[in-house]
Amino acid sequence: MNIPQALLPKSSANGFPRRRGDREGGARLENKVQSGKPNQGRNQTTGEVAGGKAGGYENSSRDRLVFLTTCLIGHMVEVHVKNGSIYTGIFHATDAEKDFGIILKMARMIMEGTSQGNKAVTDFVSKAPTKILIIPAKELVQVIAKDVAVTSDGFASELQHEKHQELLIDSVISQSRHVGMERELERWVPDKDVPECPELVNIFAGSWNRNWDQFETNQKLFGVQSTFNEELYTTKLERGPQMRELEKEAMRIAREIEGEETQDLHLAEERGFDLHDNLDIDEEMRYSSVFRGRGFDDSGYEEEEDIMLDSHNVETFGDSSDSLSRGQVDLTSFQSSDGARISSSTSLVDEAPSSQAAIGADLYHTGFNVQSKQLASEIPSESFSVSDSESRIQDNLLGEHGGSSDAKGFAQKQSPYEDQQLSNSIDSQSLLNDKFEGSDKAGPPANPTTLPQANFISKVSEKPTSSGERSECPAASKVNGETHSVNSRGQPGSSTSSNSDSVAAILASSGPGLSPSSSVGSLSSEKSTLNPHAKEFKLNPNAKSFKPSQTSVRLPSPVSDGSFYYQTQATPVPHMHMPVNYGIGPSFPGHQPVVFNPQVAPIQSPQAYFHPTGPQYGQQMLLGQRPVIYYQPEMQYKGREY
Amino acid sequence: MEGEEFAVGCLLSIKTTLGDEFEGQIISYDRLSNILILQEGLESGPRRNIRLLKANYIKEFSLLRQDEDPLDVKKCFLDLTSLQAREDSAVRQAEADSERFGVGVTSEAQNLFDALSKTLPVRWDKTVIVVMNEVRVSSPYLPECVSGGTPAANERVKKVLELERKRMQTRTSQ
Repeated sequence: MNIPQALLPKSSANGFPRRRGDREGGARLENKVQSGKPNQGRNQTTGEVAGGKAGGYENSSRDRLVFLTTCLIGHMVEVHVKNGSIYTGIFHATDAEKDFGIILKMARMIMEGTSQGNKAVTDFVSKAPTKILIIPAKELVQVIAKDVAVTSDGFASELQHEKHQELLIDSVISQSRHVGMERELERWVPDKDVPECPELVNIFAGSWNRNWDQFETNQKLFGVQSTFNEELYTTKLERGPQMRELEKEAMRIAREIEGEETQDLHLAEERGFDLHDNLDIDEEMRYSSVFRGRGFDDSGYEEEEDIMLDSHNVETFGDSSDSLSRGQVDLTSFQSSDGARISSSTSLVDEAPSSQAAIGADLYHTGFNVQSKQLASEIPSESFSVSDSESRIQDNLLGEHGGSSDAKGFAQKQSPYEDQQLSNSIDSQSLLNDKFEGSDKAGPPANPTTLPQANFISKVSEKPTSSGERSECPAASKVNGETHSVNSRGQPGSSTSSNSDSVAAILASSGPGLSPSSSVGSLSSEKSTLNPHAKEFKLNPNAKSFKPSQTSVRLPSPVSDGSFYYQTQATPVPHMHMPVNYGIGPSFPGHQPVVFNPQVAPIQSPQAYFHPTGPQYGQQMLLGQRPVIYYQPEMQYKGREY
Repeated sequence: MEGEEFAVGCLLSIKTTLGDEFEGQIISYDRLSNILILQEGLESGPRRNIRLLKANYIKEFSLLRQDEDPLDVKKCFLDLTSLQAREDSAVRQAEADSERFGVGVTSEAQNLFDALSKTLPVRWDKTVIVVMNEVRVSSPYLPECVSGGTPAANERVKKVLELERKRMQTRTSQ
């Protein structure tokens, strides 16, 4: 039988200091190994039970003693000694060969026997616990142990109990025999005799309590002086006489947006619409922010790119569609004719309602990964609230993106259109930029007509799909996704830009001025009006102003950052490789040449504004850190759920 | 009590020379060592209260009744590994606990220590409470006795100490 380590004989008793219990002095206790005989052995030797006087009985009684003392190992016991003192400690060993002296670990005296009688020791000991306490058999009076496990059930339950008491280490947890063991959950009750700490009081129990100042409380309780300044983290709202109007306006817009119909599950839930007609929507789909593709085909690369580009789209277009593969936006736009681009470029202004999506749908061309929906939706948004400088900047940003994404898209696709489109888009870009900012050099006049208009027109006739609608074709779905992504999922702004670029260009040429309501129709007319003789961009006063969505904050828009940085007057060179690699986010396919259009210069922003090493956000970076001159106070941050 | 055969299973009522009185059922009696093993309480469940008593300390006893052997030999079980583990964990636990208790300190001091330990890392250094390894609070553990540490930490400990004392006062006065 194996002998547990703990029971191996220690060095001779001389090594151990005398303990209080050792009144006899000189009494040595030999630490013999306690023979832990397995019970099987005892079964054989013990034959009889009560009453037997046979020779075996004595063996059995001895065996029982040995057995029981073994059961006590590791157990907390109380040992009474001759002089009346009582010790408590962990039972470590007994001298089973001889007279069963006891060894305790971490022992404490809890009762002191003196000549005057026993005296209890106060709970808070005056001495540290004794690491090892030896009680010779002569001193021993009795050993008391409670809740000792003797049988196998006892052991099992004790094991369980213990394992849950102590700190669990990995190997303990991973031991398979503990699998499935659960512990009884108990409701937490505060200690009875401990008065409730002020910090535990639930200040928020009951009605919403706005009078609690955490800093003040901290100061009071702990003397911590706070250096928190809210303005470091957010834009300071200028409260003045115009606040009222602006507020009202903002409220109106917010209400409109929040009341919009949506196909996006999350948005719908937030707004209280019930979209759950599809029963296999589980909790994850409803509440997770993980996008699972909804059954559409997302090729990896496309997704990447799209993700980058999507964010701007999302903000612009609002939440008109549910989540579909965002990635499609860019690529599809590239492949589509410029008409598709139109919508994207106008993305800035508005989170257009589903009508925009419908427009996009119209533009959808089977052959292409068209984000027509999105594009369509963008068209209305084209009504820039020009006063909104931000949108303009957004435009620029988008323009940049557009250029880059165009390039990327083109590189990826093999369509013969591509090159032409690229040049067109670039031209459009410059055209657009010229229109918008009156910046200097304009590229060769964009000739959108060279673009395959036919495609668009054919698509225009298509029944517009609502934003939430998912078409069977992957491409269609992509369109949907686009729009959708525009709406709610914060995506990098770059995607938007690409779209917006081309779209903006085309819009510029085609004479924008569409109202959001004229989604489908306008698109059709748009297509037909696309001509080389571009008209000037006309501001649509009915357009909704752009509201930055929260998502835009989160997403890096590396391309835009890079583009901002270069505010040169250099000649626009198509296909110029801009060293745009400022903190490029992981989603940026760096191997794609980025077409930089230096003409896209921000209108008002000072150079410092677009700091490449600054926060990698789109317009979000304006807030808090820089002099916010682009956002009107009415721009409320509408927290977008995702 | 020599000569007496302690029958397994007998329920005895025992008085010891030290003044203890109890009842228990005999599990075993080892003549050689003169140790009587008793089981107290009802045999309900797998856990029992065991008492080992040196028979020479029995002042008097009486037989209450005779029952069966309380130890079912077939079900008896020993798992040395788990016993060992149990002991180790108990020792560890005890050592951890011992850190929490000051040696040679008053119960009031211990209460203060316990209260501080709820929100701050504290340890004992003889009779000094050391907070966050910087601030020291020595006897008699008044706010004036707080020393060391950064001013901020010092202040904080002082405040918590005051608060705790106030709380203790209201508690005792109730």
